Amino acid sequence: MITKIHPILFAFLVYVSGFAATARTAADEYQQALKALAANNYKEALSHFESAVVAEPDNAVYSNEYRKAIIQSKEFDRALDFFEKRVREHPDSANLHLNYGFAYVDKIPVAGAITQVILADRALTQFTKSVELRPDWIGYYTRGQSYLFWPKIFNRAPLGVADLEKAMEIQKKEPHRGYHVRLYVALGDGYWKTDQLEKAIATWRAGLQEFPDNANLKRRLAASGDDLKTLIESGFDPAKRVNTDLSDLWTN
Amino acid sequence: MLRNDIQVSANRSVLCMVVLLGLFSCTAACGVAQSAPDKQRWFEDVTHKAGINYRHHSRHFNNAYSEIMQGYTKLGAAVAVSDYDGDGFEDIFVTESCATCKNHLYHNNGDFTFTDVAKAAGVADGNDEENASAGALWFDFNNDGLPDLLLLRFGHSILYQNLGNGTFRDVTKAAGLDRYMNAIKAIAFDYDNDGFVDLFIGCYFQPTNLFHPDTARFFPESFENANNGGGVIVFHNNKNGTFTDVTQRVGIHTTGWTLDLGHGDANNDGFEDLYVANDFGTDRFYVNNGDGRFTDKTETAIGFDTKKGMNADWGDFDNDGFLDIYVTNITDDYMREGNFLWHNNGNLTFTDVAQETGTFDTGWGWGGKFFDYDNDGWLDLYVVNGWVSAGKESYVPDIFAMITKPGIDLADIRNWPPMGNKSLSGYEKKKLFHNEGGRSFKDEAARHGLDSTKDGRGIAVADFDNDGRLDLFVTNADDEPFLYRNILPTGAHWVGFSLEGTRSNRSAVGTQVRLTANGRTYLRYVNGGNGFGGQSTMRVHFGLGRSERIDGVEISWPSGAKQKISSIAVDHWYKLTEGQSTTNMHEWKPKR
Repeated sequence: MITKIHPILFAFLVYVSGFAATARTAADEYQQALKALAANNYKEALSHFESAVVAEPDNAVYSNEYRKAIIQSKEFDRALDFFEKRVREHPDSANLHLNYGFAYVDKIPVAGAITQVILADRALTQFTKSVELRPDWIGYYTRGQSYLFWPKIFNRAPLGVADLEKAMEIQKKEPHRGYHVRLYVALGDGYWKTDQLEKAIATWRAGLQEFPDNANLKRRLAASGDDLKTLIESGFDPAKRVNTDLSDLWTN
Repeated sequence: MLRNDIQVSANRSVLCMVVLLGLFSCTAACGVAQSAPDKQRWFEDVTHKAGINYRHHSRHFNNAYSEIMQGYTKLGAAVAVSDYDGDGFEDIFVTESCATCKNHLYHNNGDFTFTDVAKAAGVADGNDEENASAGALWFDFNNDGLPDLLLLRFGHSILYQNLGNGTFRDVTKAAGLDRYMNAIKAIAFDYDNDGFVDLFIGCYFQPTNLFHPDTARFFPESFENANNGGGVIVFHNNKNGTFTDVTQRVGIHTTGWTLDLGHGDANNDGFEDLYVANDFGTDRFYVNNGDGRFTDKTETAIGFDTKKGMNADWGDFDNDGFLDIYVTNITDDYMREGNFLWHNNGNLTFTDVAQETGTFDTGWGWGGKFFDYDNDGWLDLYVVNGWVSAGKESYVPDIFAMITKPGIDLADIRNWPPMGNKSLSGYEKKKLFHNEGGRSFKDEAARHGLDSTKDGRGIAVADFDNDGRLDLFVTNADDEPFLYRNILPTGAHWVGFSLEGTRSNRSAVGTQVRLTANGRTYLRYVNGGNGFGGQSTMRVHFGLGRSERIDGVEISWPSGAKQKISSIAVDHWYKLTEGQSTTNMHEWKPKR
């Protein structure tokens, strides 16, 4: 027996079933990737992560875990090629641009000194696209922090402070979250880098009131002069890997 | 005849030695009393007093790329030291780079003054519209006991034969060395131990005529992996005054942007190994197989780097009996490469210990030399730096705007922004790293007045007044040089050797001397010109600290011969000839 279905209803069912299938596929691929990763099978893990991101390009969790696996396997160029294709397919995905930017950052510690600058510049381009598409806390925090890494001669620290201040405005309207402490540290560092020591100290103190056990804030407030300089600058050493893991955003 | 035979007088009485020692000591002590502005300062700037203050001038190119190219003859402020006339005092050759500028041969008058005799000697005319002087090397190519002079040029280099009467003759063509090379560094050592030193020339640019280039694509293709430079050319000494290009045959395959070459016997097997410091990319380490060929061991010995190698000096900084290597790179706010202090693991591998020893950051580094300035038995390091010290504006944003352009062709000079009056890593303070017992180094440059902010290039270490305290000559780009007299207060003991080979090459390059005193054995060796822009003395010097007694000396000649000296007095220079008796050795002193 053939049941007659209205064409619009038919189209809707096709769309819903397709979506469900995509979501199921992405989740399955993600689970497969985690399993392969647990077995140190990077080849399979990366392949499954990529399938998951292809299926759900704006899913920040999938892209983030993919990059973490990339760092472990040291296949940085693979990630750059992958994200380049994805952002071309989905130019409006803020999360894709954000993770594409982080993929550049992830490669910096293994690059030569000149390539580090090129990678940082390209990361900044992606962070800007991300924040333009979705001006939220992570977008401003990421780009602001990225500006602070640039050598003084480029005078990008004031741009970093401006972004971090916007992130702080957003943060103050949000409920208390564990990752908020990062912004107190970064904004204070930004003030220090732009020769605003009093503002830096005030920011770190405000952070310590909200996060009284935070060691990074305590160390900054306990240091001064050259010790403070060494402490802050050690955090901006391009040879050291920056923690680009975003999972705090959904677990903390 | 200016040449002095510098013979040890077997008949000289011990009493005479004591008297002479007393005289030397007085000279040294008087020097301290008269000239030391501060007892804590152990170097005195005597550049003007010595009459040696002619400034360097870089070249203005008359072509479309002049604004970019001028900076590259700032590399040409070089120095090479040797006692060319055998009078017992080390003389100094200094290069100039502008088209009408003369090179200088400063004859040491023996009283810490110098006279420029370049014109009379026939070695002044190193610059013209088609050639720019870029470096120099003293080496005895014909084993006649007279140091000959190789003038390196962007263009055609010149080999001057020392005629022994205070003059020199151009023998480049007869020697088979007449070819276009953008040569900037040369060292000479006997890689096959046949008794004659061979020639290793480092070239920066490929052999493009820089004065009339027929292409605009002669700049580095990459900032980190450039392989379109001039590389290294090896000339074997045919023992008859001629040389043969054996680069391919000996296995030296590199086309990097070579700025320095350094040789040393890394594994103490009696054969000299080679470190090549390359700008814009990977340094190279070649192991001498002992069969007339080298093997590229870069990957296992030091790994592949992407830095800007400028200098390669060898010395046993931790007195463990193996030669280590110091390489300068670029370390600034915008590019934190860091230098290499390659600690020799004794198995043809090296570990970089620059960070933990405090020798990592010397800005935009150039020449760096091991020497024991305080005679405490530990090799210290002097490092000069600074690329261009000009106006307040920085060239950094321009250069980074260029390199971040997608698809930029860096090899095309037309893509490079003009520098104008901008600075790049300028006004950097020089570093004098005092060796703290082989574990770390402490910068003492300010204390001793060696922290100039001029754009330093080459360093030559030598004892210009034969007082056992090592002095420094430093070249600066587009500026006056520095002659620093070592006025270390007396107290720390020392001993030194001037070596002459018989079966080995006559200048004894590659000879290792192991001296034992106070329970410690020190290794020093004769090097054939290591270090960017500067050739130091070929004598071997040991600081002995409080040790008044030497327990033994062992000399390992390149021929394989070994000689031992059981006991000699401290605080003297000695002349030692391969194969001659080492009993009853007496001090050597200059003729004048």
